[in-house]
Amino acid sequence: MNIPFYRKIVFFLFLPLLFTAINSCEPLATSFGDVEDAVMYTKSAKVTAPLPDSTIKVMTWNIRFGIRRQSWFGDACGDNTVFTKDEVIPGLEGIVSRINEVKPDILFLQECDIKSNRTAYINELQYILDNTYFNYAAYVSEWKSEFIPSDGLGRMDMGLVILSPWPITDAKRINLATRTDQAGIVNYFYLHSCIVSGSIKIPGFKEIPLLNIHASAFATDDTKQKHFEEFKAEMDKLDAAGKYFIAGGDLNELPPGSDSTDFCYEDMCPGESFHQPGDDPQHKAGSDYTRENTWLQPIYDTYKCAVPLNVYRANQSAYFTHTTRPEHTWDRTLDYLFTNNRWRAGSTITHQAFLSNSDHAPVSSEFVLVKE
Amino acid sequence: MIKKSILFFIFLQIANVLCAQNDTAKLVQLPSNLEAHTPAAENLITLQHAQNEKIPIVPLSGKFGDLILTSENLMLLKKWSYNTAYLMPAGKWETGIFQPFRYGINQKMEIFTNLLMLPLIPEAGVKLAWRSKDDFVLASEHCLSIPTPFLNMISRKGIGGLISPEYDFSFILSVSNSLIVSRQIAPKLLASAKAGFAFALRGEKPDPQSTIDIPVFYPRMAHYYDGASIRLGGAVKGSLGDKWFYEEGVQAFIITRPENNFFFENTGTIMWAVGKSLRIRGGYILAYGKYPYETPKWQMWPTLDLVFGSK
Repeated sequence: MNIPFYRKIVFFLFLPLLFTAINSCEPLATSFGDVEDAVMYTKSAKVTAPLPDSTIKVMTWNIRFGIRRQSWFGDACGDNTVFTKDEVIPGLEGIVSRINEVKPDILFLQECDIKSNRTAYINELQYILDNTYFNYAAYVSEWKSEFIPSDGLGRMDMGLVILSPWPITDAKRINLATRTDQAGIVNYFYLHSCIVSGSIKIPGFKEIPLLNIHASAFATDDTKQKHFEEFKAEMDKLDAAGKYFIAGGDLNELPPGSDSTDFCYEDMCPGESFHQPGDDPQHKAGSDYTRENTWLQPIYDTYKCAVPLNVYRANQSAYFTHTTRPEHTWDRTLDYLFTNNRWRAGSTITHQAFLSNSDHAPVSSEFVLVKE
Repeated sequence: MIKKSILFFIFLQIANVLCAQNDTAKLVQLPSNLEAHTPAAENLITLQHAQNEKIPIVPLSGKFGDLILTSENLMLLKKWSYNTAYLMPAGKWETGIFQPFRYGINQKMEIFTNLLMLPLIPEAGVKLAWRSKDDFVLASEHCLSIPTPFLNMISRKGIGGLISPEYDFSFILSVSNSLIVSRQIAPKLLASAKAGFAFALRGEKPDPQSTIDIPVFYPRMAHYYDGASIRLGGAVKGSLGDKWFYEEGVQAFIITRPENNFFFENTGTIMWAVGKSLRIRGGYILAYGKYPYETPKWQMWPTLDLVFGSK
């Protein structure tokens, strides 16, 4: 067949582009499978991992993507969506400083941004890894979109992290139930709650599976309850396999039996109205926990919380870990650590002094290691 | 019959433009073995009719295969002269959802603007035909636009907020100029090359974090923020019959600033002339660029446009 010369040129010119095109079809927002591999980060100049004798310190912290207590449109009645490098870096410096002060061996983070528009495209995980003593990190995205065409959010990649000085193996992203109270297009661009799981092996001790969750904050249907059931199911699997796990994170839920369960007034922004005749909705999304009062009970009944229910109920405000109001102190408990083994008695700390660093206070406790 | 009349009319319009620019017009040389009902035969009929009516005839090169205006090309240019050095015929117009509205003022001038975006991006452009030589057709495009109302509108809360609401944009006047040259390179293939630059006159430099960091948008808006934009591109257009046409093109954007300064696009488009005045175009844009968030990356997007206009 005699192919004209110009057609040969066109064909060979566009052949490499065709191969590139096949690998370039990224959707605007990322959809997730049920279980996917986590993205692994490693520190280039490794630090010698500690050799614990009986316990390791574990901490969970929702770091609010490093913007401290600044008013963000999404959760603090603010107008701002995007923060500058000069605003985010001091926030990260504060977080790193607190981590180095508490020195947890295992750290669960929620709301860590990777090159997101709102946080000046800083890789926050890399920053934390580079400025702490951790050697390894497992990252999973819970909100990932090339471009969110709403509120100026733009590019977004926010996720959950497990940090460890020991290698993390079998790290996975476990997808949680999707909200059913959102329009399809909104849900497409919205965050998809998940768990990051992995395991660490400390010489001389049994392998420790790790589960870090960020449950839905604003679902008004039963999605959050499903998240707790899925979280417990993962713990049950590990328990049934005879493994001693550490599980925790931001459950966005109050402990059963909390005195205050409706925070609509506390969280109300100027111009909003709730609880009044004719108000629709009657309650602010994510602020009324009243009907959810027993949703965490099955987990408490089966596993050991770092802050047991009786301890919490005796002095609730001492264990508050969250507030939405930038100028206000902690007013509710949303962050937890659980295990099927033991926490060292008296080792749990709710770091309420870290009020300026995030809208969540970290919780740390010492997990008792099980010898091989 | 109507189709032939339209073809003839457009032929005359283009002939007039070309005649006005080339005093050394000469008649076509015809092959001896010309078959009936072929495009070449249609050309012959058209040319003979023009001669009989003493209508000025388009300048043509000496070899039949090098005719600038074969019937295929007439159809191609009639349906898809956008992005070539050819102008809209005088008194004719066309517009798309994304393609600008174009209107032929006379044989040497076409005006264009994006009607759909006009209230948000006031824009006025003119395309001028220049001298043609050795089968090369030359035109220039000049455009002024004010994107400020659009930028302030999409800087908002809620859905449609492409830019964070904390940013306000002061007056921006975008100025772009380019040269386009087109030439037939095969019987059913027209090649065009474009070179130009765009710069902005600003009341105040916009915040660098207020950009829309996605392919297609970012390179075209880059000069609003910092630097000037140098644009180089080329495209080939062809016909696959009476109703189907295609275009394959490349374009590079070089922004005169130290970072996030190079973008490349490859576009492929198929166009279906549904009727005499409606065309549907679809295809892809394969974009490469250095965006603020990471190392250079490739991304592919689909494209779709409806174009309609004068019959």
